[in-house]
Amino acid sequence: MAANPVTKWYAGLTTAESNVVWSVGVLVVLFVLGVGSGVLNLAYGLFLLALAGMYVLLSLGLNVHWGYAGLINFSVAAFWGLGAYGTALVTARDSPLGFTVDPIVGLFVGLGLAAVVAVVIGIPTLRLRTDYLAIATLGLAEVIRSIINNQSTWTNGPSGILGLPLFFGNWPILGSVPRGAPTYALDVVLVAVFIAITYWALRRLHLSPWGRTVRTIRADEDLAEALGKDTFRFKMEAFVVGSVVMALAGVFYAHLNLAITPSDLDPIQTFYVWIAVILGGSGSNRGAFFGGLILVIIVQGTRFLGGVLPANFPAAAVRLLVIGLLILAVMYTRQEGVLPPQHELITPGTTESDGPVSTGGSDE
Amino acid sequence: MSDGVHEGAVTGKPDPVLKVDGLRKAFGGLQVTDDVDLEVERGSITGLIGPNGAGKSTFFNLVSGFYDLDDGTVTVNDTDVTGREPHEVADAGLVRTFQTPRKLEGMTVREAMLVGPQHQTGESIRALFTNRSQVLAEERSNLERAMETLERFEIADFADTPATELSGGQMKLVELARATMTEPDILLLDEPVAGVNPTLANKLKGFIRELNDDGITFLVIEHDMGFIMDLADPIVVLDQGSVLVEGEPEAVRTDDRVIDAYLGGPLDE
Repeated sequence: MAANPVTKWYAGLTTAESNVVWSVGVLVVLFVLGVGSGVLNLAYGLFLLALAGMYVLLSLGLNVHWGYAGLINFSVAAFWGLGAYGTALVTARDSPLGFTVDPIVGLFVGLGLAAVVAVVIGIPTLRLRTDYLAIATLGLAEVIRSIINNQSTWTNGPSGILGLPLFFGNWPILGSVPRGAPTYALDVVLVAVFIAITYWALRRLHLSPWGRTVRTIRADEDLAEALGKDTFRFKMEAFVVGSVVMALAGVFYAHLNLAITPSDLDPIQTFYVWIAVILGGSGSNRGAFFGGLILVIIVQGTRFLGGVLPANFPAAAVRLLVIGLLILAVMYTRQEGVLPPQHELITPGTTESDGPVSTGGSDE
Repeated sequence: MSDGVHEGAVTGKPDPVLKVDGLRKAFGGLQVTDDVDLEVERGSITGLIGPNGAGKSTFFNLVSGFYDLDDGTVTVNDTDVTGREPHEVADAGLVRTFQTPRKLEGMTVREAMLVGPQHQTGESIRALFTNRSQVLAEERSNLERAMETLERFEIADFADTPATELSGGQMKLVELARATMTEPDILLLDEPVAGVNPTLANKLKGFIRELNDDGITFLVIEHDMGFIMDLADPIVVLDQGSVLVEGEPEAVRTDDRVIDAYLGGPLDE
C-alpha cells in the first residue's frame, strides 16, 4: 500500500517536530473540549486564538531582526504601537485628528508609520555594531511611549483612543454580523490571512540570496563586507521588513481590541516577544510561529492561576517568575530553541538533492 | 640597487591592478604605515613579507577599506577607491581574506560558497517577488559553479557539512574557494598557510598557481619563507611601516637590508 502524504510527512519529521505536532494537537483537542463543554466561553476562546495570531505575527517580525540578521531590537512594543496608533488615529470615532477613514487605509497608515520610523532610527544606528542598535531601540521604545502618553492633542494621552471600528466594519455582509463570537471568528480568519501572507513572503525572502547575505552579516559582518555586500543596505532592509510585520500585528490588535492605550506599549511586551523567538528557535519561521502560540498560553494561561490560588497570592509576580523559569528550562535542555532552523538558505527547487533532513513537506 | 633588488617599491609598472600611493596611517602616536607606495602588476603573484609589526595586516586593512587611511590614494583597476567602504573596494575587483578563517555559523559549506557571487538578482527584495525566474536561473548556475569550485579544491565532500564543523585547514580551502566565487581581479591573502600542515600548504600553493593561470592576480602576506619565496615573484619587504625593498625572491632572500630588518631589529621573533 502506498503511503499517503500525511504519514509520509509525519515520518519525515524530527523528534522535536513530531513533539510539536503532538502538543499542538493536544492543545487543539483541549480547546475544542473546553469550548464544547462550556468551560471556555466561545467568544473568549476565539479572542484568545486571534491574540495568539497576533503574537505569531510579532514573533515572525522579531525573527527577521534577530533570527535572520542578528539585529537586537528592543522596541518591538514601539513598532507594534506605531501600527496600532497609526490605524487608530485615522479610523477611530474619537480620534483627536477628527476624521475617519476605512481600516484598510488605516492598515497602510500604520505600516507606513512604522517603516518611516524604522528608516529614521536605522540611518544613524545600523552603521554601528549591533550593541548600539540595542541601546538605541531601548531608548526609542520609551521615547515613543512618552510621546503617545504626553502629546495629548495628537493621541488623547494616557486615556488612549477608543471607539475603533471592526476591521470589516464597513464591508457589505461581513460588517453586519452580530458582535461577539461571530466577529471574533472573523478576526481569527483575518489574522490567519495576515499570517499566511507574511509567512509566505518571509519564507521567500529568507530562502534566497538575500537571506544568505543577511545570515552572513549575522555571523560575521566584516566577512560580508569583504565579499562585496553592502551590509548597511541589507541590515536596513531587514530592519524595515521586521518592523512592518510588527506594525501589522499592532494594526490587527487595534481592530481586535477596539481600543489602544499607551500602557499597551509597556516594555514587558517587547520581552514577551523575545521569549517567543528564543524559545521557538532563532532564525526559524516555524520556531517563531510556535513560540508565538506558546506565548499566548503563558501570558493568558497564567492569568487563570488567579482563580485557583488564594486571593492574596501575588499572581502577577508569579506569572513573571513562571515565565523566567520556563525560559531557563528551555535554555538548559534545548539551547537552540524548540524548532531551530533546518534548511539551507538556497532558493527551493534549485538543489538536486534537498537538505539532509528535509525528506517531506516540512516547512522553512 | 643591485642583483634585482630595488630599494623601496618598484613603481611605474605597465599594468598595475592595485596601485597605492603615499599611504599613511597612525594609531595615536604610532605611525604604523608610513608613506607606502606599492604597485601590484596584473597577473603576478606578489609576496608581502616583513617582520612582525611591520604593518602588513594594517596595509591590507587600509587597502581593502576596513581602516580609514590618514593620507594617500588607493587605485584598483584604475578606479580610485580611497576611503571607500570595503564592499565598494570589492566591487572594484579587490577581495581579501582574513588571517583567522571566518566561520559562518549555521551555514553549510555550499551555502557559504553561494555568498560569494557578486550582484545576485536574488539579493534584491523586489526581484525576489517580481523576477523569480531569473533568481532561480542564477541560483542554479551559481550552485553549479560552487560545486565545480569545491571539486576543484577537493572539498566537494564537505558541501553539506556545517561550516563550523570544518578543521582549520579545510576552512582555509573554503575561504580561498569562496573568495574565487566573487570573481576578483586581485585577491589579497593574509597568511594563507598559517597553521596549515605542509601537505595542505603544498596543495594550496598549487591551487593559487592554478588560479593565477586563470587570470587572478595575488598579493600574499606570509611568514613561511619557503612557501612564499617559492610561490611569489616579486617579493615586497615591508619594515617599520614602509617598503624596504622589492625584488626577485632569490635576491631578496640574500639581501643584507632584509636580513638586518629580520634579525637586527629589537624585540623581533
